Amino acid sequence: MTDFLSFAVEYLPEILAALPVTLGLWVLAMILGFTLGLLLATGRLYGNRVVYGLSTAYVEIFRGTPMLVQMFFIYLGLPEIGIVLDPFLAAFVAIGMNSAAYQAEYFRGAVRSVPPGQMMAARAIGMTRMEGFRSIVLPQAMRRVIPQWTNEAILELKYTSIAYAIGVSEITARAEKIGNTTFQFFDVFLLLAVIYVILTGIVAQVLQIVESRTAIPGVNR
Amino acid sequence: MAKLLEVEDIRKSFGSTEVLKGVSLSLDRGETKVIMGSSGTGKSTLLRCVNRLDPADSGHVRLDGEEVTDANVNRMRQRIAFVFQDFNLFLHLSARDNITIGLRKLRKMSKADARQRADRELDRVGLSDRADNYPSQLSGGQQQRVSIARALAMDPDVLLFDEPTSALDPELTGEVVSVMQSLARDGMTMLVVSHEVGFARRAADAVIFMDGGHVLEEAPPKEFFSAPKHDRARQFLTAIGEGEAA
Amino acid sequence: MIFDIIIDHLPYLFGGLWVAIQLLVALLAVGFVLGIALALAEVYGPRPLRWFGMAFERVFRGIPEIVLLLLFFYGLGDFYPIEPFPAAVLALGLRSTAYQSQIFRGVIQAVPRGQMQAARAIGMSRAQAVQNIVLPQALRQAIGPWTNEFSSELKATSLAYVIGVVELTRQGRYIISSTQGNILVVFAVIALMYFVVNWLGNRALYGLERRYAIPGYGETR
Repeated sequence: MTDFLSFAVEYLPEILAALPVTLGLWVLAMILGFTLGLLLATGRLYGNRVVYGLSTAYVEIFRGTPMLVQMFFIYLGLPEIGIVLDPFLAAFVAIGMNSAAYQAEYFRGAVRSVPPGQMMAARAIGMTRMEGFRSIVLPQAMRRVIPQWTNEAILELKYTSIAYAIGVSEITARAEKIGNTTFQFFDVFLLLAVIYVILTGIVAQVLQIVESRTAIPGVNR
Repeated sequence: MAKLLEVEDIRKSFGSTEVLKGVSLSLDRGETKVIMGSSGTGKSTLLRCVNRLDPADSGHVRLDGEEVTDANVNRMRQRIAFVFQDFNLFLHLSARDNITIGLRKLRKMSKADARQRADRELDRVGLSDRADNYPSQLSGGQQQRVSIARALAMDPDVLLFDEPTSALDPELTGEVVSVMQSLARDGMTMLVVSHEVGFARRAADAVIFMDGGHVLEEAPPKEFFSAPKHDRARQFLTAIGEGEAA
Repeated sequence: MIFDIIIDHLPYLFGGLWVAIQLLVALLAVGFVLGIALALAEVYGPRPLRWFGMAFERVFRGIPEIVLLLLFFYGLGDFYPIEPFPAAVLALGLRSTAYQSQIFRGVIQAVPRGQMQAARAIGMSRAQAVQNIVLPQALRQAIGPWTNEFSSELKATSLAYVIGVVELTRQGRYIISSTQGNILVVFAVIALMYFVVNWLGNRALYGLERRYAIPGYGETR
């Protein structure tokens, strides 16, 4: 135990030096996932047959296959057709595109869970469909989506570790490197696990505060 | 001669509220007694203390002279059956299997025997044709009759009823009450918490009136409904439309 | 040309798929048994067990799969040698335990209280009531959320790649390095295989759910 603590004290700074890479990857991927996810959700909710079909196929494919395979496809495969991405960029695109498929489903579910009477009431006071969607339906849907989005954010934070498999030097890769030089694999990966638990714990706490701040009395779920 | 069921000086508190303040009563074999009183007077709690669904803080419950304790409670509950206000049929089992499960798991009866017994009990409550239905496919009255059949199948010495008709639509109470009346006629020993005055008049040997965690009076139904001794009882009867005003 | 390569390597791909499925079944089985035990301990057990369960869930849900895999393979390897496959079963199985116990805890707690009371009232012990009344109802309700867990673990098996389990994804990498190319096609075929297994699994579980559905049960709550 004291061995582990002294090990942790010695190598924590080295692992944490890679934290900006992990967090940067995470935030950028979430933003890509959010934007693309909204587009996909809109496509599935309001698109014509072609748009609906394409966005549905996208969602099904990305949710039905492993992210590691998607990442290899993008990082190793795309250069075959001339698209060469460095590891960080490839990981960012892969995680973001994967997350988009999940976020799209959360958005879609949330929009559909807003009672139809809300849109009717918006139309009844003279709003257009677009206005009704933007100022009545969407704000309610967004609040409903926050709990799921919180989950997704934590999942994605953990998924950034997969970028290690294509050589992004985030914290998992850094920990493995330390293991390779010290041969104290158990200590270093235990330390890494502790870091992730604390990290996801902090994110969960912060997002929970956001959740309670944005809650509407009586509108739950 | 010892009574079949003896309840002696039961006390029960929830938090700082004392709900039962020393309640005693007893039943001879074949007797039916109805407990009445305003809501919040501890009637249901008393009933739940009798078969230890809520263990009493102090006091004794004896069946045939044997005290109900934590150690023997599972065996004693098979002899002191309980019918719930909201039926509590097992939701994943058909009407028939609601009855067979106790027989098979507790009495270790064979599948065929349990089935035969279940069908007999269903017949007794008039639901032979509903044996394969699930609870959600039955009306409230039918569910309550199945739950009575479930209780009867265990061959209990005493049946406890906790407001068996109060969760039912008015037009469905009749079928349950008539099943209970025929049980009383057949000599079943029953302790019933209920406001069904008709049932009390026709089937009860005594009405027990509870108020504020005490038994205020116990009298034959005729006497109780025509000349209650306590003001509280009179007010109660007026409130349910049975007093001199009615 | 491309098709020849795929067809030539199909036995390897199916071999890899078979390993992935074995890993999936093993880890889900570990998670199922321990997950139910943990859920029961959390719902019915004494307080220390409850705390242990909560802590276990929190920790194992907070650590990325890859980190668990590295910890259980290289980390445990510091103390005694462990093969990649059992290490993967252990790492992913314990993680699945955390997720499955959450599922089971939820459905056990969703069984109406009156069910337990009615079972006790006819003379069943707590254990008998749990076994005969609570679990049969809870497990039926668990199939839906469990289907998600199935999908997520199927995809997680690909991560065992990083500790050298020769499952489907690693077979793909082998084929790519031995044929010098065809990366897009190989990964597309691999993705398709995951997709089909996922689809079949979901169909089967949906069938199971319908087969054991009780008329009117769980529809209103």
